[in-house]
Amino acid sequence: MKELQELARTLLSSGTVGVVIGWEEGPRGARPAFITDAADSSRLIFDHRCTHNLATYLSPRRPHMARLGKAAIVVKGCDARAVAGLLRETQVKREDVVIIGVRCGGVAADPAGAKPLTAETVAERCPGCTAREPHLADHVVGEAQPEPPGAPTRDARIAELDAMSAPKRWAFWQAEFARCIRCNACREVCPMCFCERCVGDKTEPQWLESSPHPRGNFAWHVTRALHQAGRCVDCGECQRACPADIPLGLLNRKIAGIVADRFDYRATDDPTVPAPIGAFSMSDRQEFIL
Amino acid sequence: MARIGVFVCHCGENIGRTVDCARVAEELGKLPGVAHAIDYKYMCSDPGQALIKQAIAEKKLTGVVVAACSPHMHEKTFRRACGSAGLNPFLCEMANVREHCSWIHEDRDAATDKAVDLARFIVEKVKRNVPLETIRIPVTKRALVIGGGIAGIQAALDLADGGAEVILVEKEPSIGGHMSQLSETFPTLDCSQCILTPRMVEVYQHPNIKLMAYSEVAEVGGYIGNFDVKIRQKARYVDAANCNGCGACQKACIVRKVPSEFDEKLGKRTAIYVPFPQAVPNIPVIDRASCAYFKAKAKGVKKDACGKCKEACSKGAIDYEQADTFVTEKVGAIVVATGYTLYSIGKDQPEGLRGYGEYGYGTIPDVIDGLQFERLASASGPTAGKILRPSDGKEPKRIVFLQCVGSRDPAKGIEYCSKICCMYVAKHTMLYRHKVHDGQATVFYMDIRANGKGYDEFVRRAIEEDGARYVRGRVSRMYRDGETIKVQGFDTLSGEPVVIDADMVVLATAIRPQPGIEQLAQKLSASYDAHGFFNEAHPKLRPVETNTAGVYLAGACQAPRDIPDSVAMASAAAAKILGLFSKAELEREPTVAKVDAALCAGCFHCERVCPYGAITRIEVRDRKGNLVKIVAEVNPGVCQGCGTCQATCPSKSVELQGFTDEQIWSEINALLA
Ligand SMILES: Cc1cc2nc3c(=O)[nH]c(=O)nc-3n(C[C@H](O)[C@H](O)[C@H](O)COP(=O)(O)OP(=O)(O)OC[C@H]3O[C@@H](n4cnc5c(N)ncnc54)[C@H](O)[C@@H]3O)c2cc1C
Ligand code: SF4
Ligand code: SF4
Ligand code: SF4
Ligand code: SF4
Ligand code: SF4
Repeated sequence: MKELQELARTLLSSGTVGVVIGWEEGPRGARPAFITDAADSSRLIFDHRCTHNLATYLSPRRPHMARLGKAAIVVKGCDARAVAGLLRETQVKREDVVIIGVRCGGVAADPAGAKPLTAETVAERCPGCTAREPHLADHVVGEAQPEPPGAPTRDARIAELDAMSAPKRWAFWQAEFARCIRCNACREVCPMCFCERCVGDKTEPQWLESSPHPRGNFAWHVTRALHQAGRCVDCGECQRACPADIPLGLLNRKIAGIVADRFDYRATDDPTVPAPIGAFSMSDRQEFIL
Repeated sequence: MARIGVFVCHCGENIGRTVDCARVAEELGKLPGVAHAIDYKYMCSDPGQALIKQAIAEKKLTGVVVAACSPHMHEKTFRRACGSAGLNPFLCEMANVREHCSWIHEDRDAATDKAVDLARFIVEKVKRNVPLETIRIPVTKRALVIGGGIAGIQAALDLADGGAEVILVEKEPSIGGHMSQLSETFPTLDCSQCILTPRMVEVYQHPNIKLMAYSEVAEVGGYIGNFDVKIRQKARYVDAANCNGCGACQKACIVRKVPSEFDEKLGKRTAIYVPFPQAVPNIPVIDRASCAYFKAKAKGVKKDACGKCKEACSKGAIDYEQADTFVTEKVGAIVVATGYTLYSIGKDQPEGLRGYGEYGYGTIPDVIDGLQFERLASASGPTAGKILRPSDGKEPKRIVFLQCVGSRDPAKGIEYCSKICCMYVAKHTMLYRHKVHDGQATVFYMDIRANGKGYDEFVRRAIEEDGARYVRGRVSRMYRDGETIKVQGFDTLSGEPVVIDADMVVLATAIRPQPGIEQLAQKLSASYDAHGFFNEAHPKLRPVETNTAGVYLAGACQAPRDIPDSVAMASAAAAKILGLFSKAELEREPTVAKVDAALCAGCFHCERVCPYGAITRIEVRDRKGNLVKIVAEVNPGVCQGCGTCQATCPSKSVELQGFTDEQIWSEINALLA
């Protein structure tokens, strides 16, 4: 922690950056912090409650952030993949951001939880995580951490869903999506949902009904999931932000599996690896063309 | 409020027989926003068009829907009519009630209902059409020809004679292509070199042609009328400006046993060489891989590296330090004339192809291919025109010719017919008999495809006058027995297996595209088929164009072609380009993509997916000049209106003009309503 605070202080006092985006103690657990004054660097923390992916604040569509000047951002290994995504899709220039990687031993699903990290409290994405060492970073701080507790559970749930008949699976998702109140929190928190005007807000024509109605809800979630195919970095923020507890992570993970299988692409913190949407390889399967 | 005019055409009986056109007009007339709806026997006739023009004037129409045949047939006609009546042509659209309706249905009522629906949704679209302006782009009146075989030579000469400047790029040290290797040519048996070399010289001397031999196209940017081509001139190690072609260097060269590519490895050349005496340009190149000087240098020898050619050259033209150079040229059109290569039966094959183990994978001596036979038969060849077999230099008395080796053989990976082999094999049997009077030629064939002018007569002559024996069937095995080659096959006419003893075997191997041609095609954004032959834009109506505007095809790069076909294609491509160059500006349909810069997030997925490279990046700045963001922009000269970007953009910030989301949406809604 000291190491992180010291680094932030140096970056701010030397004028290298105008803001350090990290985490701090809040009234309800860990919360994002925007440190602009070197003296405030001691507010920065990093522990298992720092589940938020802060990369979303790098999106150029956040003018209040741009006003603070060049940013340094604290990232876990998984968050670094989002920074790579923003670099890959030309939202951020590498020279415009200082990346501070922290070594992670897994985070809790709920940043408010004061409880220790156990198989019960750990975030779904963490058990078995292979991204804990950040590579895309100017500085890496902290000691190596132990493996997150618990075992991966999501793939088993996906297998259960795959095993269902199509009508049953349809009913499952209909019921989940029926709870959606179309607050768009999933989109707002998503680092890769950086569009200037989301297709969900488009009128003339309105491709997606915007009121919470089963038809529009289904269209919205399928559209967003497809827009994230090969782009989602599996940070789990959409699911965490959702007030209706919709298991969006399952949907994203399912699609990530298909993308990995078909295009041999997995979310990565290497910004030079092209996203499959614009990359063509002779080995792409194209049996649908004949 | 929209004031749409609907014009329903009977197309004589074509539509009227199945569709009640009067009812279609009546129902359309009831739609909101339709100010005028009539039916008429022939809308495309002068009086028909007059009805449209008159209605535009009298009813102050804001849009026109013609329910008639396919837009492919008459969209231009009706748009022009609207234009001349003062209505923007792109406010006129067609509903296809012929191909999509009357021609495919029988039930008159149902067909009429469908015609109403088809016209109805086009009305909804036209309500949302906006005036578009034809795109005009300037044209650079210079052409690039890639490949200096007979096709490229012909295209260059026709273009240059037509007044266009031409840059001819040839990858080998000399132009001429395969035709320069041929002995005599079917169907007239005139000497190939005698008809070709004058044209090569003409290319060299033509004031409008800039010849760049030993060069390759490195990059292609831009679009029709405005290509930027980067050309790599490979180092010859000979200064072309000083060399006078005396040949002293070649006499002095100590490396004398390099297999000659021009002689198909049947002859030898020196390390510094011109491929053949009539080469154009007549400037040697040093083949670095076999040159003693470069080999010694590579080993680190400091002094006493060869240098014999340099000593011999009185002009001081040898320059071992020469490097590849790059030039960028602006051209308005490109002809691809990269020709072909021959399939070989060896074990190592490119992906998808297989060799002939049953013929010994090319290891049996005296089994040669057609081009090698051409070199043997050629007066300028390694045997001075005598037919002598390569292994021992003896005159073969029995030659077996095999047609369709590789071709028409899906098991080997090539299912197409190579088209020219039937003819040149017949030619070979004749040349053989003319040179070896007691020689017996036997030809194994599947069937004879001699479908050109004078072609069948030519094959007949080979059989009837020059005694070639034709056996219908394929050869299943070939093996060596002492000095003889046993050719084992099946005569399908007699139903008997046959074994023929041969002194030499000539394989008519399949015609394949140049290796690596895919890379060139990708640079040009031109498409190619599964074998690597360039695709024409339309097999019947646009045979020398590609789908990329401004890129044309000539010769065997498009499919196996003989010389007459190659020359005809070359002249056709030249005519197309001269037509293009006859205009000061190019007109393009404005149905191209357009980015909404305010909405674009600059993710550049569109740039990555655009098959034509039409997307560029531009900076958006505020009034003070501060950079706001970088967004995508479509170059309307390059965009082909394919819509891939529109489908890819997550936020729908790029749309095809004339096919916007809103227009498509309203069409679908109209149908569902
Ligand atoms: C054995 C045999 C006998 C034949 N006999 C006859 C006959 O008697 N009569 C007849 O009509 N036809 C005959 N043909 C067919 C004839 O050879 C072709 O029709 C003709 O050569 C096709 O001309 P082309 O210009 O399209 O291709 P090519 O002759 O192959 O010329 C292509 C040229 O392009 C150059 N090139 C290739 N790639 C590039 C690149 N990337 N950049 C720059 N330059 C490039 C090549 O070096 C070459 O010079 C025969 C063919 C064979 C195999
Ligand atoms: S879709 Fe969800 S998990 Fe994926 S990057 Fe966006 S917020 Fe993270
Ligand atoms: S859902 Fe799609 S259109 Fe909307 S913000 Fe996300 S990526 Fe952009
Ligand atoms: S956050 Fe949850 S409730 Fe809100 S729009 Fe997304 S899925 Fe629906
Ligand atoms: S895909 Fe859409 S948002 Fe992205 S750069 Fe292209 S037009 Fe802009
Ligand atoms: S429509 Fe879009 S993808 Fe297609 S050529 Fe034009 S810019 Fe490229």
